[in-house]
Amino acid sequence: MAEYQSFIGLEIHIQLLTATKVFCGCRNRFGDEPNTNVCPVCLGYPGVLPAVNEQALLFSYMVARALNCDLSKTAYFDRKNYFYPDMTKNYQISQFHSPIGRNGWIEYETGGELKKVRIHDVHLEEDAGKSIHRGTATLLDYNRAGTSLLEIVTEPDMETGEDAEAFIQNFRRLVRYLGVCDGNMEEGSLRCDGNISINLKGKGLGTKTEVKNVNSSRFLKLSMNHEIGRQKRALEKGERIVQETRLWNEAQSRTEPMRTKESAHDYRYFPEPDMPPFRPSPAFIADVDARLVELPVYRKRRYEAEYGISGDQVQFLTEEKPVADFFESTVTAGADPLQAAAWICTDIQKNLNKLQIGLEESSLTSLRLAALINLVKEGVINRKKAELTLSLMLEEDKDPDVIVREQGWEQISDSGAIEALVTEVLQANPKAVDQIRGGDMKPMGFLTGQVMKLSKGQADPKLVQAVISGKLGS
Amino acid sequence: MSVDPWKGILKDTQRHSAYLRYFEEWEARIGSFLEYRLSQDDPSDSGRLPLGGVPFGVKDNIAVEGYHCTCGSKILKDFTSPYSATAVNRLKAAGAVPVGKCNLDEFGMGSSTDNSALKKTHNPWDVSRVAGGSSGGSAAAVAAGLVPFALGSDTGGSVRQPAAFCGVYGLKPTYGAVSRYGLVAYASSLEVVGVLADTVDTARRVFDVIKGQDELDQSSALYPGLSRDRGGNPGAAPPAASTARIAVVEGLEGLSPEVEETYRSSIDFYKAAGCEIQPVSLPSLDYAVAAYYTIATAEASANLARYTGIRYGYRDTGAVTMEEMVRSSRTKGFGDEVKLRILLGTYVLRSGFQDQYYGRAQKIRTAIRNDFDRVFAAADLLLMPVFPVQAFPHGDTSLDQFQQKLADKFTVAANLAGIPALSFPTAPRNGLPVGMQLLGPVFSEQRLFAAAEIHEKSLGGIPRPHGFRSV
Ligand SMILES: [Zn+2]
Repeated sequence: MAEYQSFIGLEIHIQLLTATKVFCGCRNRFGDEPNTNVCPVCLGYPGVLPAVNEQALLFSYMVARALNCDLSKTAYFDRKNYFYPDMTKNYQISQFHSPIGRNGWIEYETGGELKKVRIHDVHLEEDAGKSIHRGTATLLDYNRAGTSLLEIVTEPDMETGEDAEAFIQNFRRLVRYLGVCDGNMEEGSLRCDGNISINLKGKGLGTKTEVKNVNSSRFLKLSMNHEIGRQKRALEKGERIVQETRLWNEAQSRTEPMRTKESAHDYRYFPEPDMPPFRPSPAFIADVDARLVELPVYRKRRYEAEYGISGDQVQFLTEEKPVADFFESTVTAGADPLQAAAWICTDIQKNLNKLQIGLEESSLTSLRLAALINLVKEGVINRKKAELTLSLMLEEDKDPDVIVREQGWEQISDSGAIEALVTEVLQANPKAVDQIRGGDMKPMGFLTGQVMKLSKGQADPKLVQAVISGKLGS
Repeated sequence: MSVDPWKGILKDTQRHSAYLRYFEEWEARIGSFLEYRLSQDDPSDSGRLPLGGVPFGVKDNIAVEGYHCTCGSKILKDFTSPYSATAVNRLKAAGAVPVGKCNLDEFGMGSSTDNSALKKTHNPWDVSRVAGGSSGGSAAAVAAGLVPFALGSDTGGSVRQPAAFCGVYGLKPTYGAVSRYGLVAYASSLEVVGVLADTVDTARRVFDVIKGQDELDQSSALYPGLSRDRGGNPGAAPPAASTARIAVVEGLEGLSPEVEETYRSSIDFYKAAGCEIQPVSLPSLDYAVAAYYTIATAEASANLARYTGIRYGYRDTGAVTMEEMVRSSRTKGFGDEVKLRILLGTYVLRSGFQDQYYGRAQKIRTAIRNDFDRVFAAADLLLMPVFPVQAFPHGDTSLDQFQQKLADKFTVAANLAGIPALSFPTAPRNGLPVGMQLLGPVFSEQRLFAAAEIHEKSLGGIPRPHGFRSV
């Protein structure tokens, strides 16, 4: 059987988290009453002019920089002409001739391996409104019209649905780390179309199809893999691949040709005369650079290499930048990295879930967490009491040592006190004592537990075990 | 000669009623306004404001909140603007009162105002003749003394040519000197908000109010600022008008005898005044009209795409599907000249043909800029006719729509180069005004005013049509 090669490229749209729309002063907010965040500019009234939003430019240059693009020294907009009722001017202000970024690349991680994808370009444009169909009528909501949209076009450097899935997950983390997009695929603030072609190995790109309507990374994987299979079967039957736009049918788990006929558009791009070219100043570029951060993929690999954190933990720690930042400042504050990771991934998470708040909203600081970890390390409290301490820290907004003192939870590390407790427990449990003396160590745990119980959890468990062993000569 | 006698004319009951009578008598004859409200009180306690209580007209493609903004088109016949243009807001802040909206060629496309779908405007000097266009209503209203000034827009001569036809001053400012916010776009990279006025001083005072950067128009510049891309030293004081070096173009063809004679006598006037006359050639001028219509129509094809009847404007209610509705609203709403330009613009922007048309037009545009740069390296000003002929009769078959476009040769160059130009009236010939224009490097408006002013003094004020009465 012939051997095929597949080529997947992505066209990604992200909604930038700018305070206002890209060319007017309207609020950039979703979920409001239809047509409340609109003005003459975004409604395309006669006589209005677009005025580009500085923050949108800043965010766009940040993304282009993070994707290692050549940054445009003279970026300008173009008009992309086509009639569409969601689009108030019947042309979209976009970038074609001189986009913000070009010729970039980015690494992403899949199965522990780094892979590289080249970026064709990064360009800023305006989003359209939304049509809402009600029976035979169509209603139009322009709240989204004119909001800032950044399009990132990759080269066809991915091979499998798994690659594409991993890429988009990595990319989602990246834009969230930069703070330029919330990355919500279900709500459409991160949208992705897949271009895919296959060919006999070594023959280069084939005829591509474009798959739209993919609103999760999993569907991206499934749709790409489905399309690889479909194209392969077609080629094997001697058919030709039709260059077309297909839609992902979630219910049927397959791609289908788009039903509406999409005539070949001639967008008649020409430079937008209403806004002069943007020539970023050195200060602007310095600002862009100052806002760049260590990208999540590299942060994750660093945690693995530097701290030996792995699996779900390292994934969890680096998923969100605030969590990773919290972890790092806890380590900087003197906590053991592995302990810090364990606390953040389990106990803290459990407590936050219970309180239904996020880390940033909570009263927990990295300094307090480091202090708590060190209280355990120094033997002032044991792990069990430390967990209770954490809950109180969150509830009462207090330092851990204050809580420990108030509650009288300092660990009993005085061997005299522990010996008394041990003696009491051994006397009460002669059967277990006999068993151990007979060489069966099973009841050790039970006895230790009894001593801990008697100490109301304050005894140092290691010391307790040592004292029991000493007394029973085991 | 200034705008001061107009102050308070709306407030004083006696003056107001005389004004109203005069206005309405003239208006019935010339049809310069599509809409006016003279009854409105002067809202400002305005004596101390620079233009306190002075009434003015606004071309109906410039937004004034609460007024219609029809653009002379059926497609916007019932549209009322929810906001005001920056130039209008600045004039209001200076105390001036917008009293109405002036007729124009539909969306500014034409040289006669006969392309208005809503009204016929006549030249106050001879009502059988056109007022010029596209700011014909604005020019006619000023010429007849209905207002001391009016705002117009100049995309390829649309302020200067009607000013010449009606015998008033017409300023086309430097591109970017006046905010375009609120000017309904026809050809965005060419057009500017301009001023039609009855004296140089009025034009200057109005310009001083409306000029300057506006955050709503990012193509607007600080004034006087450095020109953004080209030479010129706008910060420098203008040369004394009486010793200015004035370039004149040799070998102009196609001028009517009246216009040709006036050009000669205007050159003689400035020579006699002490100016140094420099004959120059402008070889790129021959390509200006072709380049202008290519760029203007390309931009128009996009700018006029928003008129679909979906959100505002004329909607054909007979249609069933959305596509049908858009198609038939546009088919019925736009006039022929507008449709022609949309089609041309769509044609020149087709992919695969852009280099041949749009790209070449941009190259010519650069060549024209270079020509002007060369001229203004040695001269302070350039003197040219505005239009090859005087105001022509309505329905004149000797000058069809195509020939009217060719005749834009002398005006479009300033729009392509983005430089300022001021059209000024001279002594009438055969009972009709003749206009000449002075051009200068970017941001040289003060130089244009100064040079026009010495001519104005010699003329003793603009010529006025029969029946004119001063306020
Ligand atoms: Zn808006």
